[in-house]
Amino acid sequence: MPVITIEGLTKRFSDVVAVDDLSFEVDQGTVTGFLGPNGAGKTTTLRMLLGLVAPTAGAARVHGRPYRQLADPSRHVGALLEASSFHPGRTARDHLRVVATAAGLPLTRADQVLDQVGLADAARRRVGGFSLGMRQRLGLATALLGDPAVLVLDEPANGLDPEGIHWLRGLLRHLADQGRTVLVSSHVLAEVAQTVDQVVIIAGGRLVTQSTLAALTARTSQTVQVRTPQAEALRLLLAAQGVQADPADPAAPDQLVAADTTTEAVGQAAAAAGIVIYEMRAERSNLEDVFLELTTTHGGQQ
Amino acid sequence: MTRLVRAELAKLRTTRTAWGVTAGMAAFAVLTVVANVTSAGRQGAPPLSAASLPDLVGAPATLLSGAVLLLGILGMTGELRHHTITQTFLVTPNRGRVVAAKLITHALAGLAIGVTTLAVTTAVAVAWLTAKGVTVSLLDGRLGRVLAGTLLAAGLCGLVGVGVGALVRNQVAALVGVLVWALLVEGLLLNLLHAPGLGRWLPAAAAAALTSPGGAHLSRWGGGLLFAAYGLGFALLGTRFVVRRDVT
Repeated sequence: MPVITIEGLTKRFSDVVAVDDLSFEVDQGTVTGFLGPNGAGKTTTLRMLLGLVAPTAGAARVHGRPYRQLADPSRHVGALLEASSFHPGRTARDHLRVVATAAGLPLTRADQVLDQVGLADAARRRVGGFSLGMRQRLGLATALLGDPAVLVLDEPANGLDPEGIHWLRGLLRHLADQGRTVLVSSHVLAEVAQTVDQVVIIAGGRLVTQSTLAALTARTSQTVQVRTPQAEALRLLLAAQGVQADPADPAAPDQLVAADTTTEAVGQAAAAAGIVIYEMRAERSNLEDVFLELTTTHGGQQ
Repeated sequence: MTRLVRAELAKLRTTRTAWGVTAGMAAFAVLTVVANVTSAGRQGAPPLSAASLPDLVGAPATLLSGAVLLLGILGMTGELRHHTITQTFLVTPNRGRVVAAKLITHALAGLAIGVTTLAVTTAVAVAWLTAKGVTVSLLDGRLGRVLAGTLLAAGLCGLVGVGVGALVRNQVAALVGVLVWALLVEGLLLNLLHAPGLGRWLPAAAAAALTSPGGAHLSRWGGGLLFAAYGLGFALLGTRFVVRRDVT
């Protein structure tokens, strides 16, 4: 059952279409990576989901309702947006207590979430002196304040050092294990690849693909580069076996690149036909390549 | 609404601005008493008498109003400046309720700062006059009217400040706009219109009906109601046309 529903969502700013007829769903208890290059429309989409930006068309719903119609939204949806939205003169603890008061939550929650994000020692310091990473942690603490079943996190890894990113992954996994639904945006797939169950990829404000991470991994491919004095003979031999091989470079006619195959397959075929091989190596594309390919081809349509 | 007002009060308590304004007003209030007492009886100023107390107590009223107005503007526009409005609207998506809570909170804050300022002024003035051998009475009717008028003006200035802040999102523009209006534009308008009867309906004149009644001003009640109407009118217009905009 979908917890978050995005339906035909469109946002047009004066002369730019930031989000263009976007639709996807996020199921209960899943961690969904919301991915796309900078300027793809991720933040605008999340802000429309959270009732901060009014859509030009379409609708975004949480538990079947627009966010603005949820009673006590902080108890249902925790959100982390930009890392700079704190009053610099207020302490971390006071910030959380103000939010807790407005949300009707017990003030003791402030200290609990500060502990949870590892900021207990900085609780009584003014936020103006915080590093970007500390602000990001305080933002996460704010999101967790109402113990919500749904979390919407916009680029939570921004400003975190490697240790912080490692910590964030652990936190996201922990939240998912508790059965919470998490929608987490990022412009770097690797930041979330270890944590997410499924991905929604957008570019140029449009949906590129929504799939499980496993399906995305299956799209990675392996190519084999071969150097041989009998390049043409090998090319025909591989073509007969249904493997596409092409010259790597017109300037180097002895080099072939065979797509979607293995060094074992190419080696056995060459040996059986008595073809000499000087050099052979496999190259595997990774998730990041798939992501880049998906977003650049689709983003380029604009 | 109660918890929203409590949250807004907590916002005021947990930064230094409101405390700074309160301390500054108390210090200024003492200064006005010192200046007025030491200059009494010289250069045409009337000598100290039992009637001096209401004048001494009411002297900081205009600055008090201005300070509370400024705090109201900061309370509304500061949320945009520091992007805290995002968090505020996440917790309370009904933006009209947020503005309403701020109106109530800043009216209360105005009253609190007013009470503090007046208490300090009254205490210093009474002590000094007594030391000078002037017998004063706290039950004086005119003193009561000065206290009430000053307090009411301070409370309503909180309301008007939030209203202006809701209408003019830019903090600097709102602050400068209010200053220029109160010090320059309203006076110019009065001269240009050649209609002193109309002037008393302008906002600064309506506020002045509370702090320095008499003359061409409206009655206290009339001025107070009109000034409150200005504040609520700004807030309504601001909520309808400005506050509902996208928060990006």
